[in-house]
Amino acid sequence: LWAQMTVTSSFASFIHAVRPEHLSKTVRQRSKRMILDSIGVGLVGSTTHVFDIALQYCRLYSSVAVSSVYGKPGVKLSPTLAAFTNGVATHSMDFDDTWHPATHPSGAVLPALLAASQMLPPTTKPNGMDFLLAFNVGLEVQGRLMHFSTEAHDIPKRFHPPSVVGTMGSAAATAKLLSLSTAQCGHALGIAASLAGAPMANAATQAKPLHIGNATRLGFEAALLAARGMEANPLILDDIPGCSGFSAFYSVYQPKPLSTPSDHHEFLLEKQDIAFKRFPAHLGMHWVVDAALSVRNLFINYAGSFSPSLIRTIVLKIPVSKYINRPFPSSEHQARHSFQFNACTALLDGEVGLSSFTESSIHRQEVRELLDKVVVEHPEDNVANFDKMYGEVALLLHSGDVLTGKCDTFYGHWRKPLSKESLLKKFRSNASHVLPEEKIEAIITMVDNLENLSDSSQLACSL
Amino acid sequence: LEISTSFFFFFPSQTITGNFANVIHGLNANHLTDQVIQRSKRMILDTLGVGLLGTSTEVCHKVTQYSKIYSSDISSTIWGHLDFRLPPLYAAFVNGVAVHSMDFDDTWHPATHPSGAVLPAVIALSEAFPQKKKISGLDLLLAFNVGIEVQGRLLRFSSEARNIPKRFHPPTVVGTMGSAAACAKLLALNQLKCKNALAIAASYAGAPLANAATQTKPLHVGNAAKHGLEAACLASQGLQGNKQILDMESGIGAFYTDYNPQALPTLQSYPWLLDQQDVAIKRFPAHLGTHWVADAASSVRRKLVESSDNFLPLDKIEKVILKVPEVKYVNRPRPTSEHEARHSFQFVACSALLDGSMSVQSFTSENIHRPPLQELLGKTQLEHPPDNTPSFESLYCEVSVTLRDGNPISHRCDTFYGHWRKPLKKEDLEKKFQSNASSVLPAEATEGILETVYNLEKVDDCSVLSTFLSGQSDRPLSEKLRFL
Repeated sequence: LWAQMTVTSSFASFIHAVRPEHLSKTVRQRSKRMILDSIGVGLVGSTTHVFDIALQYCRLYSSVAVSSVYGKPGVKLSPTLAAFTNGVATHSMDFDDTWHPATHPSGAVLPALLAASQMLPPTTKPNGMDFLLAFNVGLEVQGRLMHFSTEAHDIPKRFHPPSVVGTMGSAAATAKLLSLSTAQCGHALGIAASLAGAPMANAATQAKPLHIGNATRLGFEAALLAARGMEANPLILDDIPGCSGFSAFYSVYQPKPLSTPSDHHEFLLEKQDIAFKRFPAHLGMHWVVDAALSVRNLFINYAGSFSPSLIRTIVLKIPVSKYINRPFPSSEHQARHSFQFNACTALLDGEVGLSSFTESSIHRQEVRELLDKVVVEHPEDNVANFDKMYGEVALLLHSGDVLTGKCDTFYGHWRKPLSKESLLKKFRSNASHVLPEEKIEAIITMVDNLENLSDSSQLACSL
Repeated sequence: LEISTSFFFFFPSQTITGNFANVIHGLNANHLTDQVIQRSKRMILDTLGVGLLGTSTEVCHKVTQYSKIYSSDISSTIWGHLDFRLPPLYAAFVNGVAVHSMDFDDTWHPATHPSGAVLPAVIALSEAFPQKKKISGLDLLLAFNVGIEVQGRLLRFSSEARNIPKRFHPPTVVGTMGSAAACAKLLALNQLKCKNALAIAASYAGAPLANAATQTKPLHVGNAAKHGLEAACLASQGLQGNKQILDMESGIGAFYTDYNPQALPTLQSYPWLLDQQDVAIKRFPAHLGTHWVADAASSVRRKLVESSDNFLPLDKIEKVILKVPEVKYVNRPRPTSEHEARHSFQFVACSALLDGSMSVQSFTSENIHRPPLQELLGKTQLEHPPDNTPSFESLYCEVSVTLRDGNPISHRCDTFYGHWRKPLKKEDLEKKFQSNASSVLPAEATEGILETVYNLEKVDDCSVLSTFLSGQSDRPLSEKLRFL
């Protein structure tokens, strides 16, 4: 009678239902030996140098919480936990920036720098320029690492890129801000590699924002440990036959050195801009939404108004990418990762915004009816790559007529960047949910004049 | 700056990692262009706005609540310390690091270090419950076993796991999951939350093997314990992940090239893996592979010494050949640090030949660098017979010493003392514990731990274990050791 259980549920059931009486005599005996040995080993281990370093680091947490949390003026946390919390906030709605090759670069770097800036004593506060530089170091390292593998050029399948390169970027950025020595910078990267890498399966779930939260926090931790003398493999980014370093996260890995900066270093950001999202959903959705909006206009001209009953089939031409192909999303996280849902919402409402992803919006009858009509196609020329993909929405009407909308480059993509006004509009709209107008304008001004700011921790304090 | 440019002139070939470090260190504000400045400021602004908005989300509320724990008074014991305590998460981390700090902890088959990832987490957690809630020794024992079992089951999902690893360090993959499972058990989470604990833990799992034989390796176990605990706590607060995390290739499967998950057996007379497959307990603090080498080398030394009036004819040794499996990260001809020495077939062979046996002391800096050892290392080579498979279940080691007069003396070890096929006797296990524990605890506390663990399933309140661990040994406390 019971339907076949998934492997995961069988584990959950076991963990939940197992009882003491299930333990056999042998198991009890053996596991007690293990516990005894483990404790003894731990006790002698407390006399080691590595233990001292780990301990010194952790004792930070007995000190006063000094770092700000976005939108909570009265709250302060310890620096890495503030970074964690703010990183989670940043990716919580999939509203943050995306780069090519694919990752969410800023959320992995900024929260750590903000938290770190408040951690440093008054005499050594980094200025706005230091801050800006460290931020760019964090971006640059991420971009360079992604160029080590051709896999990275396409929408990911195995490891979520922010959890791989983001952690490394955060380590690099924080190491920069803290002015670590060359050797320490290397060790920060090495330690960070052992904290990197989360599987894709948690994308489109509530746990996904933790990927950015942890990237920024753990990269920061790596730098703090390196600052205290922790050492790692100095060849972590190199190809080490028979024993993987950073290459563990890729099946094809060809590391390349960075040119040493003399007078001129070309940052990747120079040649390759970022995409900003206009609504809080996976980047891929932005193409189908713009395509849907254009065909919606055609349809309204054709029929006088948006009349779903006239539509027989909705055909979406999209690239192949399993984690964003969801015919009937049931949660907000799934909805943000569904070509079908975003296309239908755009068709129905004429826009996609924050409120499109609330529980009630997701479960609207009209949306479900449209979703029922959707058919998905994967044209061979539609590559799963943010630089090359397109979105096409075709309405096949009962009358036999076909209306089509296609989008190659959505507004906000690096080929068609948001204007200054659009970007400010997005910021003001977002910030106004938790901050009063004066504070909002103050932040805008501070960031605009960042290179002239004498104490960059003021930025963090203003949040 | 002048100095650094000439440095690069004389040493043109550089590692990539070293190169990154140089660049990170050497970039300055002058390198930024107007366009880069402009674009990155837009990014910062946008990110701030997005972050501010994000504070109103449910996921953010949960992590804020979780993180606020660190402002509270909840704290757990740091093993061996009475002078301070840490929040449970960091107690698990620090104690986990301690456990793996010397590569002295247990090893299982398929290969991982199971206990270090679980025990520090469950002990730290047991101290974090509100006062009224008492955790019994049996609760602790059960949770511990759940953590071990889950690791063993996961290791059986991939044929890769049977051999000594090459890509990801197993404790960081399955250890994190085991810790999450054990903590979920101790927290008595419902099924849904157990699933989420596993899902969240997967996003913390996985560290590359290259940090083995470095100072960072112990952090692998510390982090496994810490992150598994965190995952369970987040799940307890309602955070959700992918409920098919063990089923999907893009879930835990991401860490393996072949992945075939299977459901666990039913609960009726549950067949624990630990029942069928014991662990190996180490006799000295080094990689398990070196234990075969040590036993073989000790036997060879005995033979050598017998045949030359009871002293080791160091000068007469021409070469030392070790027949071992091919395991690159334990192949180190001249280790320079304690971490490297613990991961060196060659080092352990030579130490055992010189001293007769291995101990904690074998890895001190003086011993690593002593001239007789260095000399012997110079004469040592490895061979990799094709039948010597890199698996802790089947590998062997043959040590062969050739003297100048030509006669090779050799010995082969198939199963070292402490391996699961030849487990340590109770007295020897106790001796190891006593030796370790007494380096930081007074005798009464050491005795207290021994008694408590031996009778763990009858202990009413397992907090007595933590009390002993911190070094307390007042007589009134021994009375607390009430048994059911």
